[in-house]
Amino acid sequence: MALLEVSGLQVFYGDLQAVFDMDFTVGDGEAVALVGANGAGKSTFLKALVGLNEERKGAVYFDGIDISRMPAEQVSRLGLIMVPEGRLLFDSLTIEENLLMGTVNRRSGTWTLRRVFDLFPILEERRRMYPGQLSGGQQQMAAIGRALMSNPRLLLCDEISLGLAPVMVEQIYRSFADIRREGTAVVLVEQDVKRALGASERVYCLLKGRVSLTGDARETNPERLTQAYFGT
Amino acid sequence: MIWVETLINGALLGGLYGLLGIGLALVFGVMRVVNIAHGEFMVLSAFFAVLLAAMFPSVPPLLMLIPVIAVSFVVGWAYQAVIVNRVIKSPDPLAPLLLTFGVSVILRNVMVEIFGADVRSLQVGELSRASLEIAGLSIGIMPLLTLVLAALLFMVLQLILRRTEFGRIVRATADRADIVRLSGVKPDRIYNYVMGLSLALGAIGGVLLAVRSSFTPFSGAERLLIAFEVIVLGGLGSFWGALLGGIALGMAQLIGLKIDPNAGLLYAHLLFFCMLLIRPSGLVSSKA
Repeated sequence: MALLEVSGLQVFYGDLQAVFDMDFTVGDGEAVALVGANGAGKSTFLKALVGLNEERKGAVYFDGIDISRMPAEQVSRLGLIMVPEGRLLFDSLTIEENLLMGTVNRRSGTWTLRRVFDLFPILEERRRMYPGQLSGGQQQMAAIGRALMSNPRLLLCDEISLGLAPVMVEQIYRSFADIRREGTAVVLVEQDVKRALGASERVYCLLKGRVSLTGDARETNPERLTQAYFGT
Repeated sequence: MIWVETLINGALLGGLYGLLGIGLALVFGVMRVVNIAHGEFMVLSAFFAVLLAAMFPSVPPLLMLIPVIAVSFVVGWAYQAVIVNRVIKSPDPLAPLLLTFGVSVILRNVMVEIFGADVRSLQVGELSRASLEIAGLSIGIMPLLTLVLAALLFMVLQLILRRTEFGRIVRATADRADIVRLSGVKPDRIYNYVMGLSLALGAIGGVLLAVRSSFTPFSGAERLLIAFEVIVLGGLGSFWGALLGGIALGMAQLIGLKIDPNAGLLYAHLLFFCMLLIRPSGLVSSKA
């Protein structure tokens, strides 16, 4: 069984249905890109996986455990960790305290404060500062660091390049080599398709809440992907 | 000289007022809920202390604080878990307000039913009259002890919130209650602890106030008003602000009483009103 197995997932957003009959798998240590236009249902899908959106139906297995009805705080303890869109750091905590929040779920592993600081040295310099005093890119590093502190088996990254300077995006994407070396699987939700494909093995494209294309990230026909992306 | 004494006594009373405010401020700061029943819970803890003091006459009454604090913590925990958590996620901010208001009405009437409407106070004997003579000033031992205790509690609370993992989780939950769940934290559980802590702090204030002035089952509203003014004066969410706000209120009250012995809390309320007009963000407007 794959690390994450989703089949026939429906996700609702109030009265609206945002995700229809979705099948999705991630293998151990695999990197998967999830692309799609604004409003395609990518973020809603991730939130349903981790339990932040509880209006969902269908089968979701993580590491063989049924998590389709599990609340977010329990999902976190299994090692399915999300880096939320917009960073969403804790504003009244220092950067170091934000990182330490990742240890609350008591998952042991190779990621420690030391290792996160080695991965993103700027965070060590700014450890006593508050999120509001950091640039967007540095905040994103802190958000990723906080997730790493939970020693994830699968890291879900929601729009981590959104609104960041290209240099920053470059640096953050380079860090994935280190993250994946630990055997951590990664799901990259991106609007920047090229970037996501370059860092992944497989790709899913979402269109209006449905999977419109899936396949090998490097052999995907750009024309077909454009079609699947825009639905033209 | 008499004015200096008034100011000092006002500051000492203010320590107590700060304590009344801090519990309310903690709950408001973390879950954005104004616990209208805070005053009634304070009065309830005072009744409990009086009851214990009557049952164990040989034990110094102030020692009753210990069991009262412990019970108040448990009561707060249960109050949050069973009642307040039900409405805390409501998109309507009126829901927790109405609910805690309802609880305050019920508590008041239950207290009348059980304890009667008589005026009570907690007798601590010699201690309530003992005073120190410093440079010709007479300073009460009991108010002095109260201020020291208040300052100590503020420091301990500040340490817990700043330096422990529990404190980090509480602050993070106050910031983003949904995102802490991604770190394995169940916000409802944190709320339970915070309400327990809030009522425990309220109990200390309630018992110490019962030593200073008498109370009835109807005193809760007045206590809540003071607590509310303290935290608004100090700046919402600021702990040291609450202590400062309490001291300002205490001084205003005693100066007012000096000018006009029938004034009661009028001058304290006037100070509050003026501050709202001049500086609505409070004395300390930064986040604690």
